[in-house]
Amino acid sequence: MEAEKGKTARYLREKQGVPERVKEELKEFNRIKRAITGALEQEDLTIAQLAERLQMPLHEATYYLLTLVKYGVVATGEIDDMDEYYSYKLVK
Amino acid sequence: MNEEKKIIHYDALVVGGGIAGGEAALNLANSGYRVLLVEKERSLGGKMILLSKVFPTLDCSACITTPKVSEIARHKNITIFTESEVTTIDKRSENDFVAQITKKPRYVHVEDCTACQLCEQACPVSVRDEYQQGLIGRKAAFIPFSIANPKAAAIDIENCTLCGACEKVCPTHCIDFTMQPEQFELHARTVVMATGFNLFDPLEIPRYGYGQHKNVITSMQMEREIAPTRPFNTILRPGDGKVPDKIAYVLCAGSRDASVGNPICSQICCMYSIKQAQLLMGALPMADVTIYYINIRSFGKGFEEFYQQAKGMGVSFVKGKIGTIKEKENGNLILRYEDISEGVVKEAEHDMVVLSVGVKSNPDAGKIFPQGALKLDPHRFVAQTDLMGSPAKTSIDGVFVAGTASAPMDIPDSILSAGSASSEAISYIKQHQEA
Repeated sequence: MEAEKGKTARYLREKQGVPERVKEELKEFNRIKRAITGALEQEDLTIAQLAERLQMPLHEATYYLLTLVKYGVVATGEIDDMDEYYSYKLVK
Repeated sequence: MNEEKKIIHYDALVVGGGIAGGEAALNLANSGYRVLLVEKERSLGGKMILLSKVFPTLDCSACITTPKVSEIARHKNITIFTESEVTTIDKRSENDFVAQITKKPRYVHVEDCTACQLCEQACPVSVRDEYQQGLIGRKAAFIPFSIANPKAAAIDIENCTLCGACEKVCPTHCIDFTMQPEQFELHARTVVMATGFNLFDPLEIPRYGYGQHKNVITSMQMEREIAPTRPFNTILRPGDGKVPDKIAYVLCAGSRDASVGNPICSQICCMYSIKQAQLLMGALPMADVTIYYINIRSFGKGFEEFYQQAKGMGVSFVKGKIGTIKEKENGNLILRYEDISEGVVKEAEHDMVVLSVGVKSNPDAGKIFPQGALKLDPHRFVAQTDLMGSPAKTSIDGVFVAGTASAPMDIPDSILSAGSASSEAISYIKQHQEA
């Protein structure tokens, strides 16, 4: 099967398929991303506030939120008066 | 798999593209020999390219590594295979080492990639970034890290959904999912083994709580946190994003510990921990940094002064052996330790703990040669058969060892070792030159 330049992903997808694990992980990431951006749409939040609002373990909230900072979806805001926790805001 | 095996000829094969392998390749190439440099990762530079600064000079690590890697990549006598593995090396004669090499597909034509990162932005997948030590995510279409060489995108095929979004946005059409593994049979006249070391896995010591207590991290994770290409905007606890202000270092985590199969000193942990402590005090001026140690081994040039400098900056040194690390509800950590000076058991609270993980051998080096021909020492580093007279010599005539493949050592010693290995390799080639 000859693959057309610029459409080779389709060629490989048809040839070998995509593992269920990969599809599930993408769904899970999208679900968490939607939940985080939804929460930040309302107000700026610290990681602890976000974790509480989403009923998510703190370390997971940290990981996903800071990953979204890297991807440019979320920006780092101000640090609190104790210089301990930053707040985070949605990039609009 | 592309079944067609390509036969290639070079003067020297260098296995490993870290700082030692790179240095050895450069020396050989500058002497006029054609070198094939084989690296299993997606970038040259080994572990050094991921470091923040180097001890005891506090020079920027990337500023040293990047020009060197660039020189290697541009050298007309050096050919580089990244994402490649040397599966076997067979010595057929004094002049003919035959290596079987598998080159994995990158799914990107490197020469056409402009590193524009549009594929990265388009990719919907997010997985843990191994180059940031899992502290943050990365895409499945990604540039390994900002100073990677080659600086080109790669596709993480294990996690790719094959959605084609990267291909659609690529302006140079350099993404190609039809790429397949390539097989090479290399004929070389000499071999330099620069396969480096592995970091100790702290999961092997459950009482330290690594993996379970989220604010216990490894020294390599802290190295990323303090590097200019850091994962976060500042130093943060991975457990809750707090800026830490009471940080502990636990030295000899997996070194000098026969119970985890690594009874030897890793040579570098004392000094890299002291380096990190100094950098932390610069980044977080209000932070308390405490180093728990058994002995401080500041044996190298300028090391003792560096140690004294850290003390002068306010780093606390406690001669103590850590028994357990427990986590409090607020994520802080209670270190229970034996105060060796006073001979009593004490407890101390910190909000972040860094395990100064040790150096372990990379036993892969021994597996490449048939029937154990390449001898390993009792700690599974490549054995140096004439340590005093000819330290790069191995048990196979014509195969030389460079850098931490032979023993734990710091960066200057790795470079010296690579110099020795390349000199011996050149001498070997000249000795066995066919008339």
